[in-house]
Amino acid sequence: MKNDFPYISLKNVDKADLTKIENYLHFGGFSAIKQSLGLSADEIIDRIKKAGLRGRGGAGFPTGLKQSFTKTSCEVCLQKYVVCNADEGEPGTFKDRYIMEKNPFAIIEGMIIAAYAIGANKGYIYIRGEYEQAIRTMQAAIDDCYRYDWLGKNIAQSNFSFDIDIYIGAGSYLCGEELTLIESLEGKRGYPRIKPPFPAEKGLWQQPTLINNVETFSHIPFIINEGYEAYACIGTAESKGTKLFCVSGNLKQTGVFELPMGITLRELIYDVCGGMLEGFEFKAALLGGAAGTFVDASFLDVPLAYETLKQKGATLGSGAVMIIDQATNLKDLLINILEFFKHESCGKCVPCRIGTTLIYERCKKAQLLPDDINWLIQQTEYMSRNSLCPLGQSPILPVKSFFTYFNV
Amino acid sequence: MNKNVNIIIDGKTITAKEHDNLLNVARQNGFDIPGLCYHPRLSPTGACRLCVVKIEGTNGLVMACTVQVKDGMKITAFDEELENNRRHTLSYLLAEHNEEYDETYHDEFRPLIERYNLKEVAQRPIKSIWQNIPRVVDDTSPVLTYDSSKCIRCFRCIKACEEIQGKGVLSFADRGIQKYIVAGTGKWGSSECDGCGECIQLCPTGAIVEKPHRNIINIYKIDKKVVTSCPYCGVGCQIEVWTQNNQIVRVNGVEDVSPNYGRLCVKGRFGYQYANDRERLTQPLIRKNGKLEPATWDEALTLVANKFNEIRQKYGKKALAGYSSAKCSNEDNYIFQKFIRLAFGNNNVDYCTRLCHASTVAAMIRSLGDGAGSNSIEDFETTDCLIVIGNNIIETHPVTATFIKRGKQKGQKIIVIDPKWTPLVKYADLFLQPRLATDVALLNGMMHVIIKHHLINEKFIEERVEGGMQAYEQLKELVMKYTPDLVEQITGVPEKLFTEAAIMYATAPTAMIATGMGMSQQTVGTNNVFALLNMCLITGKIGRERCGINPPRGQNNVQGATDVGASPVMYPGYIPVTNEENRKKVAKIWNVPFEELDPNPGLTTLEIMDAAHEGIIKGMYIMGENPVITDPNQLHTIEALQNLEFLVVQDIFHTETTAYADVVLPATSLFEKDGTVVNSDRRVLRLRKVLEPTGEALPDWKIIVEIAARMNINIGNYLNEEEIWNEIRQVAPILSGITYERIEKQGIQWPCYDEYHPGTSTLYKDKFNTSSGKAKIYPVEYQEQSEKTSAEYPLVMNSGRILYQYHSATLSRKSDVLNAYASESYILIHPDDAVKYKIQDRKKVKVCSPRGELITTAIISDEVLPGEVFMPWHFHESPVNALTRNEKDPISKIAPFKYSVVKLEAI
Amino acid sequence: MQNKQTEEQVLEILKQFKPEKSEILKALHALQNAHPLHYITEEAITQTARYFKLTTGQVYGVVTYYSMFSVKPRSPFIIRLCKSPVCYMKGSLNLWNYLSQKLLLNENNISSDDLFTLEPSECLGHCEQAPAMMINEQVFTNLSPKKIDQIIDDFKRKYHEK
Repeated sequence: MKNDFPYISLKNVDKADLTKIENYLHFGGFSAIKQSLGLSADEIIDRIKKAGLRGRGGAGFPTGLKQSFTKTSCEVCLQKYVVCNADEGEPGTFKDRYIMEKNPFAIIEGMIIAAYAIGANKGYIYIRGEYEQAIRTMQAAIDDCYRYDWLGKNIAQSNFSFDIDIYIGAGSYLCGEELTLIESLEGKRGYPRIKPPFPAEKGLWQQPTLINNVETFSHIPFIINEGYEAYACIGTAESKGTKLFCVSGNLKQTGVFELPMGITLRELIYDVCGGMLEGFEFKAALLGGAAGTFVDASFLDVPLAYETLKQKGATLGSGAVMIIDQATNLKDLLINILEFFKHESCGKCVPCRIGTTLIYERCKKAQLLPDDINWLIQQTEYMSRNSLCPLGQSPILPVKSFFTYFNV
Repeated sequence: MNKNVNIIIDGKTITAKEHDNLLNVARQNGFDIPGLCYHPRLSPTGACRLCVVKIEGTNGLVMACTVQVKDGMKITAFDEELENNRRHTLSYLLAEHNEEYDETYHDEFRPLIERYNLKEVAQRPIKSIWQNIPRVVDDTSPVLTYDSSKCIRCFRCIKACEEIQGKGVLSFADRGIQKYIVAGTGKWGSSECDGCGECIQLCPTGAIVEKPHRNIINIYKIDKKVVTSCPYCGVGCQIEVWTQNNQIVRVNGVEDVSPNYGRLCVKGRFGYQYANDRERLTQPLIRKNGKLEPATWDEALTLVANKFNEIRQKYGKKALAGYSSAKCSNEDNYIFQKFIRLAFGNNNVDYCTRLCHASTVAAMIRSLGDGAGSNSIEDFETTDCLIVIGNNIIETHPVTATFIKRGKQKGQKIIVIDPKWTPLVKYADLFLQPRLATDVALLNGMMHVIIKHHLINEKFIEERVEGGMQAYEQLKELVMKYTPDLVEQITGVPEKLFTEAAIMYATAPTAMIATGMGMSQQTVGTNNVFALLNMCLITGKIGRERCGINPPRGQNNVQGATDVGASPVMYPGYIPVTNEENRKKVAKIWNVPFEELDPNPGLTTLEIMDAAHEGIIKGMYIMGENPVITDPNQLHTIEALQNLEFLVVQDIFHTETTAYADVVLPATSLFEKDGTVVNSDRRVLRLRKVLEPTGEALPDWKIIVEIAARMNINIGNYLNEEEIWNEIRQVAPILSGITYERIEKQGIQWPCYDEYHPGTSTLYKDKFNTSSGKAKIYPVEYQEQSEKTSAEYPLVMNSGRILYQYHSATLSRKSDVLNAYASESYILIHPDDAVKYKIQDRKKVKVCSPRGELITTAIISDEVLPGEVFMPWHFHESPVNALTRNEKDPISKIAPFKYSVVKLEAI
Repeated sequence: MQNKQTEEQVLEILKQFKPEKSEILKALHALQNAHPLHYITEEAITQTARYFKLTTGQVYGVVTYYSMFSVKPRSPFIIRLCKSPVCYMKGSLNLWNYLSQKLLLNENNISSDDLFTLEPSECLGHCEQAPAMMINEQVFTNLSPKKIDQIIDDFKRKYHEK
């Protein structure tokens, strides 16, 4: 395990209470904004691209590319928006909450820089309704920023103005999907929109919209401050930088850990978390949450990075690492996940609306025979190819991986 | 227009327009790709996932309905994998679907089940689960029933309501497998749903079904499906009428055809019940010993002919008059006016247009040259700014309003000017609420603002207004007296509001005006419209596409009746009676001596009634009108009718007017007729016979021809309606180019001078139809009303229409559906006045004017201003016209239905 | 205790928000939180629709889509017990049963003293300290029956003190 990496999302959170703006400033907060305002938009985007930052929401799309799409999507725009996706609903994931509660200004700083780069003047932070504490912390941070002129008109005496509002979700996993989140932000039911157009072209109120995950925004100040080289040397070939891992289960230590991309599961469990709790043995892990993949012990030494996991048919997703021990009934866990999909399906498209119910019901059968398993995999394959949005496309991940590695 | 591109579907090269919808293009070219959520009138949804295709260069499966065609696209529409996918999707849908089918609706799902070999349960890969899903049935609406077990959650109803009708009443409730359609908070009956039924028409699976005739209709036993024009307002919606055993069982909007493109309102879709009503007149009636008793046609016709001849001989030509009808066809009206001019030998023919848009027409003809709306219905969607003044357009022209609401969704600016709140205010950018009858002051004030802000269009004034800037200067001199303070004082509209409105209108790239009865039905009606026209002219907002002024017409053929000459002052085609050359031409066509055609203008509607009251008119022929309810000052009307020696009423029902008739002649309803009508945007549209005549009823024109024959008058022999129409084409040049053949599918807008002329969507693009070719400014001053409030009559009453009833309600009140929505009279009173006059909400009140009194129910509402009250006039038991006066606008002779002083007493 | 929201109260709450569509969810949260029984009434939906220039159906659709909102009367305290995979592994199902019995829930999952409504929740994002639950806006983690006893008793006591 590499110990020589800087903290990015959680930089200095161990040193002081960074929810206080004085402390954030004390540690050099907002210096990235000052620097950015002296750069051209293209220079900023270029640095983000060169840093190799990929979206931390789960899909891993190159952030710089997204920014340049949004920047150039129209010549004359009525308005552009920056939206921070803090609708962290992926089961087993709690890193965004952690950043919001511990390092709120870094997120805001990242949003301001991104807004400046793409030419947006209005931003929203879409926080799920259950995150009461995070909502309060972020709101206080935003208020402080206005007080210190880091938000509002003419930020840092520049010509650039930017406003941020918080939007509060109300209990919908699907709203974490970017276009669904935008629908929700418009005060509607959370239905996924047809893609294309992508948000970069037509997002909020049909205007170009840059939408990134909390963690992604929190990486931007570092890249600007320390340079893209400093960032790009962390991690693996295709997965740069650090990643927040949300480790849960019967381990000696659980929580959010910022680590370089490419750390192995074994290192995570035994070095970082101190191993399993007394009486519990590692049996499996669920990586990436419900829309993630089950892995068995054969994965312990696979580096946790986008490309390495993909090679083995698994995902890193949001960074959820649920460690499952021998005491857990695996099949019940699968049922639990399928019930989750059923509950969260918006019902817009047929394969997902009906499929999530069908597979849940079938999985509840007392004894799953090979025919049942084949049938379940078939349905999830059909769903993944025919569904409108990632929700219906996801059950294949846990279902297929489950039956690949485990017998029931 | 998008450019042509080539795409390849399954190896076949197809030319299409770039950005066209791929599914639509494929289907039009014979690729029968299945799909249930897509509808050409709706934005793509991508919910049902049946239209999957593969596109070269794109990963995975793509929904054809969500793809716009691009040049060179290579598409696989059918292969084994796609078909398997579709079958699987269908079997999913089938699993959540209740398959019971009662043959009362068209089901798009069932044919697919057969096509994909899923009919037998054994063939289905997925077992039924619908029984385990909570079933929601909403039966609270008067017009429809929703059953979630038959719903495939395709969004078509939601989008029909929102995108097509602009109402947005429907939504899904809940989510996932349990979601279902709701209106309001879960009960259709108490929601904002107004019953237009667009959702029913677009539902592919019978989850939303029509209630009326549910126990009778069987879609496999439909005898006829006939396309005709809606019998209600002047939008001219094209309807497809289904019959079973000579009974109408369903009405649908005709897709893809103007002016309604499939859309309907609640009256058009559900108001047809009158056609088969048991109270229809089935045989001629003659008054004997004070009672109307059945007679044979021969008896009745002979009596009528003899009496008319007798009166003409006894009292002279001037003793006879006729009311023609905006509810009858062009052919009926044409024959009627021909009859009056030939058989009565005078020009005493008029009809209810005199009571609605006479002032509008008078002003427009003087100023612009034509008495009709200058634009097309489609322009209501595409113009940048719309002023709706004195017109409750959502309720009175619901389908025209859909165009406005759709325009709003695209950013149109809407200004509503009305003394009473109307539903369009919900969509409006600005709402100006002037006191009743202060319109001229308000409009002059707005022109004042326009001039002050230098927003006039000098080029337009110079080039297209008679007298150019000199004429403008005269207007300016007058309107500059209307200072903001003065205008605010007269109208009660804050300066800020009318300033903003004036600027919004004047600065919009294109702008239109819709005017209505609120403007026209006043003693200053013509002046009101002159003021509007002046504002159009100084800003140059007319004579171009999407610019102009439009009076949406209240009845299905108000426009056409005047077009074909049912007017005391105009021959067919708006040629003055006094035009000798034209009379000569017409005499030739009619094959009568020129001298027989009276060169003097006849009496107008209200003048006819006055003349009857005075004993000058002795005999009257009323076709399809009900003046006892519709004319002002009811007592005066009744006295006039009683004063007649002989009254013939030709109608489809007994009305309040047949009570005074000596002979009642049963006519066919619109559903029993062939012919044509003209709608509000001058579109000539076909009427087609749907039902066999009721009893012995005859088409109006045939009755007239029979009377003429018995009077020995040569009115012509016609085999059918088309022969009449072809004569109209000769007499009225503006209609010359329009043949039945040309309007078989789509109407054509006049003027249309020859058979190669495409018709005219926008008037005055090159010139105005005045003698100089230029428009005229008529500066007008604000005048105070002669009738004034007093201690005795402290309130001013406004009157108007509501969505669910129609005019004197002879037709609409035969409909259970319409009655379920609204069947009772009421009066709106402002909360302040309610306190002042001790009026309680929903309690009976007596309303008195200097002319009469009635009883109705008070509703306390801030839709009206303090000091003003509002009453719908449809209800004969509370006849608003018992209160109105028959004073007339000096130019157009219209009566002030919108302004009567009244008092209210709680009872 | 007054278990109703007056028209004026609803309007008062709505007026705190700009009449823009992106404020609707916030307004609905506020309306629900302000109602003593933590739900959104039909009248509140009607007024919200009017305030935001929507139809009641559109607002009702939104309210019923999001699982945190309720159109049915609940109670002063809403317990959201996390049932997501981690909490599930850590025994949240047992806690559900424990709470059901302790609170004597009726068919609407409302306690016999009408103070608590028990609802399952998707992941609350406190997996590192599973099992977790929320009562109104407060989060409680590392739950055990004993801890739950204490928390519930605390709420009851505070409620009755008020």
